[in-house]
Amino acid sequence: MADLVDSMLDLMRRLPPTRTEENVTSLIGICPEYADDLLGSVDQPLKLKTDRATGKEYLACDYNRDGESYRSPWSNEYDPPLEDGTVPTAKLRKLEIAANEAFDTYREMYYEGGASSVYLWDLDDGGFAGVVLLKKTMTPSSTQEPSGSWDSIHVFETAERGRQAHYKLTSTVMLQLVTRNGSEGDADEKGSSKGPAWKHQGEVSLSGSMTRQAEQDWPLTDSSSHITNTGRMIEEMEIKMRNLLQEVYFGKTRDIVYDLRSVDDLEKARRQRELQKELVGFIKR
Amino acid sequence: MNASERIEAASSFLLQSPPGEINDVLNDVRNIISDDDSLHAGVLPALKEYNLTQFMTADVPNAEHQSIVSDAARLDPTEEAQERFVDPRSKMTFLFDHLTLEASDPQPFEPDSEAESFRAALEKSTLTYLHAHFHDGVASIFSAQGSTKNFVIQVVANKYNPANYWSGRWRSEYRVDMNESTLRGKILVNVHYYEQGNVQLSTTHDVSLSLPAAVTSAAAPAAASKILALIEDEEGRYQISLNDTYQEMGEKTFKSLRRALPLTRQKIDWDRVTGYKLGAELSSSKNMFGNS
Repeated sequence: MADLVDSMLDLMRRLPPTRTEENVTSLIGICPEYADDLLGSVDQPLKLKTDRATGKEYLACDYNRDGESYRSPWSNEYDPPLEDGTVPTAKLRKLEIAANEAFDTYREMYYEGGASSVYLWDLDDGGFAGVVLLKKTMTPSSTQEPSGSWDSIHVFETAERGRQAHYKLTSTVMLQLVTRNGSEGDADEKGSSKGPAWKHQGEVSLSGSMTRQAEQDWPLTDSSSHITNTGRMIEEMEIKMRNLLQEVYFGKTRDIVYDLRSVDDLEKARRQRELQKELVGFIKR
Repeated sequence: MNASERIEAASSFLLQSPPGEINDVLNDVRNIISDDDSLHAGVLPALKEYNLTQFMTADVPNAEHQSIVSDAARLDPTEEAQERFVDPRSKMTFLFDHLTLEASDPQPFEPDSEAESFRAALEKSTLTYLHAHFHDGVASIFSAQGSTKNFVIQVVANKYNPANYWSGRWRSEYRVDMNESTLRGKILVNVHYYEQGNVQLSTTHDVSLSLPAAVTSAAAPAAASKILALIEDEEGRYQISLNDTYQEMGEKTFKSLRRALPLTRQKIDWDRVTGYKLGAELSSSKNMFGNS
């Protein structure tokens, strides 16, 4: 029944990204036996939580979830508390602590706010995997102000090969931007001189997610190399994806609107082309 | 979930379909629900609602043009069992299959003679406007049932490009009330871009205007062309204002969510990031020793 999961993923690729959580909940309701497949493969907006021990904010997703509880990367504690919640081995936890500190610096330098979390786990083949999460939300002070949110989910797997490590990275960025505007019969824009005044009110919402993958080998000097290596890969990936998002959000979707409707008079352009053709024919004669 | 809850969920998925993707969504839903018999009858109301709100277009039997199947096109159900839709342009009514999107059984339609001259004038001006500004547009102009002074102008333009993973839809609707001298409308744009992702643009724009006496007192052809000039002006301004919104989102919101590069204008020196932290840790433990 693998194709059932494919259908669910295809569906999620088509339905509005603003309603992902609601739709995932519905799908799980229809097929409870596929809940894990779905939660593991559909990226959902990261939830912001506060570590009870340190007061620091952390991000919750499927990777730090055990049952109904989420583990904080700062205190290593589950909330609500779990007695036998899964935690990384001592050695991996040490690396996880250092990675959280490094990506906290990264977050401050690129996001100037928001929250970050890194979770690591051991793999059966001896290697380990991890996820680096970043989130920033802009809450407007008034309804007319634009609002937005950015969620990054970078999942990686690594395998050490002597003094090299091989990394497989899958990155998803979810970006949502909303602008509302309205006017009560504009006095501006030459409205009064040009004709009657329109009242308008509207909203523009751009939302979605994009996913990209990368595989690279990096040298390994000690275990902290994993942080510098994944750091460089993720930084490179986010720069690439930020450009891509900019292109798709502000370029591609705008071009499609212009493919539907033209500001310039198409009929005039058609007539001009006809005229040109006639003229060329005339000259040739 | 019981059977009716499943149908409700399936209906909700269908109503969220992006432009031109209702069949893809329906195929996914069929596979997920895997009970074609109950699904087919159960989701029919949702399919109909989707078609009516999305201004689905129908090939009018025996006509060279398409018309919009919407609430405004729906004939008041009489004693007739099957619901019919009207195409005022060809003066025909037809049956519409909400699953196959096929129109059938054309029947002549007698419009209200009092309303028809103004409606026809609006139609003529709207079609001129449509050809001037829409690449693949369809427009229908309805005279509101039971009134000779109320008209509905509907425009829809679709572009589906599954090979390049995108689709788009522009819908406009204007209600002309010659009794109240008002023009109320809405513009709705939906774009879906889904190459290695799922990005959607969704806009709403509600407008309203009091029609000046110069419009309402004019003869039908002149009044209609003035109304369409107002619409052309407003839609053009709206499309241009979208550019400004894009620019604002790109320059303000997008930039303040994540910088292109840190303030230093350089990428991060990862050896120093891990080094700094180590240094900070050492110095803080030194302080701890110093204080004790």
